[in-house]
Amino acid sequence: MIRFSLLHLREGVNDDMLTEKEIISTVEMLKNEHLDVRTVTLGINLFDCASHDLDRMTDNIYHRITGHASRLVPVCDQIGEKYGIPVVNKRIAVSPIAIVAASLSSSQMTALARTLDSAAGAVGVDFIGGFSALVEKGIARGDRALIEAIPEALSTTERVCASINVASSRAGINMDAILMMGKTIKRAADCTADADGLACAKLVVFSNIPPDVPFMAGAYLGVGEADAVINVGVSGPGVVKKAIDRALSENPDLDLGQLSDLIKKTAYRVTRVGELIGREVAEELDIRFGVVDLSLAPTPNVGDSVGEIFQSLGLFSIGVPGTTAALALLNDAVKKGGAFASTRVGGLSGAFIPVSEDLNISEAARQGHIGLDKLEALTSVCSVGLDMVAIPGATPAETLSAIIADEMAIGVINHKTTAARLIPVPGKAAGDHAYFGGLLGEATIVPVNQGHQPNRFVRRGGWIPAPIHSLKN
Amino acid sequence: MSRVILSVLGQDRPGILAAVSGVLYRKNGNIENVSQTTLQTQFAGIFIASVPETVSLAELTAALEKALGPLGMNVHVDPLDLSAEAVPPVKSEPFVITTKGPDRRGLVAEITAIIARYNVNITNLQAIFKGGENPGDNIMIYEVDIPADTSRQSLHRELRDKAAALALDISIQHRNIFMTLHRI
Repeated sequence: MIRFSLLHLREGVNDDMLTEKEIISTVEMLKNEHLDVRTVTLGINLFDCASHDLDRMTDNIYHRITGHASRLVPVCDQIGEKYGIPVVNKRIAVSPIAIVAASLSSSQMTALARTLDSAAGAVGVDFIGGFSALVEKGIARGDRALIEAIPEALSTTERVCASINVASSRAGINMDAILMMGKTIKRAADCTADADGLACAKLVVFSNIPPDVPFMAGAYLGVGEADAVINVGVSGPGVVKKAIDRALSENPDLDLGQLSDLIKKTAYRVTRVGELIGREVAEELDIRFGVVDLSLAPTPNVGDSVGEIFQSLGLFSIGVPGTTAALALLNDAVKKGGAFASTRVGGLSGAFIPVSEDLNISEAARQGHIGLDKLEALTSVCSVGLDMVAIPGATPAETLSAIIADEMAIGVINHKTTAARLIPVPGKAAGDHAYFGGLLGEATIVPVNQGHQPNRFVRRGGWIPAPIHSLKN
Repeated sequence: MSRVILSVLGQDRPGILAAVSGVLYRKNGNIENVSQTTLQTQFAGIFIASVPETVSLAELTAALEKALGPLGMNVHVDPLDLSAEAVPPVKSEPFVITTKGPDRRGLVAEITAIIARYNVNITNLQAIFKGGENPGDNIMIYEVDIPADTSRQSLHRELRDKAAALALDISIQHRNIFMTLHRI
């Protein structure tokens, strides 16, 4: 009689056998669809580096950063190599400097920015975020010193990024801070007039800023975080676009529900990559793993565009009617797929629409298919805000403040994060071209509706109260 | 009971497994393990079986040939030598090497030569020849175990250089990424 031991019968076959389809699709994503880990960001707590003595503080900070981050770049490269998936950027986010250095003066803050810059350079990262302040309920002395230092700090350093939170759903909108930021942005632009206002590309004004964004320029290590953390930003607009194109070539009649499902599944895969690589980097560095931020963040490379996704979905261009609905679909599907894929999703997680950093969006702006008004509408359904928007250099500070105020209102009322990264390009007007270089890309300057008119409304200042539905206790 | 290893090769058709298991049943034997695969139209199967000591290798072989011959199958029988100590498993990491490019002589030979030189074992090999309209799309997938003490950088470099010389696109990735992406 034959005795088949059922357990042994399958011993020769590995239940975890990879299928040809799984292998090929993974390699395809990597080679042709720009699947990559967009950033591994090391968050470093600087609170205990504080000192009255500037030299001591900068020393503490320099050693803290170079100590913790010394192996960041090589470890990321090593693990990227292991999986054949490049970690494109390695970055650092520090505790909000306005709090760390609350006792410093403005010029001392600028010196500190230079320390951050050289520490970042020493460990080989391209951006260091955290030159930040949280002023949604009021501007403290350290906050003021930092904000006043921003134009010089950002124009005399390469790598430092600044973010200011001026509003929250709980606190309301600090219009005084917004007025200050309007002026600060103008000054920062003027300080870098020969680079089309480049300093403004490293400065973001937020409402409801998340404490763990790995992407620049909004990255900082939130109050409440521990000593160090690894956060990962994954991206893959090209992967999503190709997945949509492939599905539609097989079945051109897919409806929006089916496309949403497809995007969700693709987002799942992209996030899994980030989770895997992030955890291994964290383990190798012996630092806690924080979150995966799954954001479709484009770059000015061909095939790495969010704007193109709209065309794949069936719109003539980003900006035409239907864009807001499409973005709502995209953003939500990305969040759902990402949420399932990771133990901890955080940061912004959704779709970015940075005008200059996306070849397709930049071109759409040049052609006039999308302007400031539609961009603003889109920020109500996507994960960031008015990002890398180049506007006429002559735009007055109070108009800038008004644009920011609109963005903040959308965020505060809808309990979401919104932000503004506006670049008034000195000496240039609507229709002109601005060039920022590298990942920051280039853009056509978009007009601002009646932008030159005085704005008595914002000039009133004060504080727009938090919405009633924020009383959640 | 003595253990044997049977290999069966030939054109795939119904009845092969029935023939093998039927012979073993009649000889009071037992199939302990089996692995079978089909490649295009050809069947290949390996069986580990145990038979009573009283059944000689020659007797078993004759019986199998009698049952499988009419089916057009070739069979080979060997004693399974368990006295040979299994090589203690070397600590290694599983990787997947994929090459894509035009088919040509030496493609597999040259890549596998490098792999062997680094003492890397190939645990699975798949060839996907799309050929036809797109000759550039021939894909070879080598699943390998790379010993932990191997210089991976050096191996990767040699493989990349060889791939470039053969006009191939090559990817070398740790297996985890495939499992992570496609399995929950």
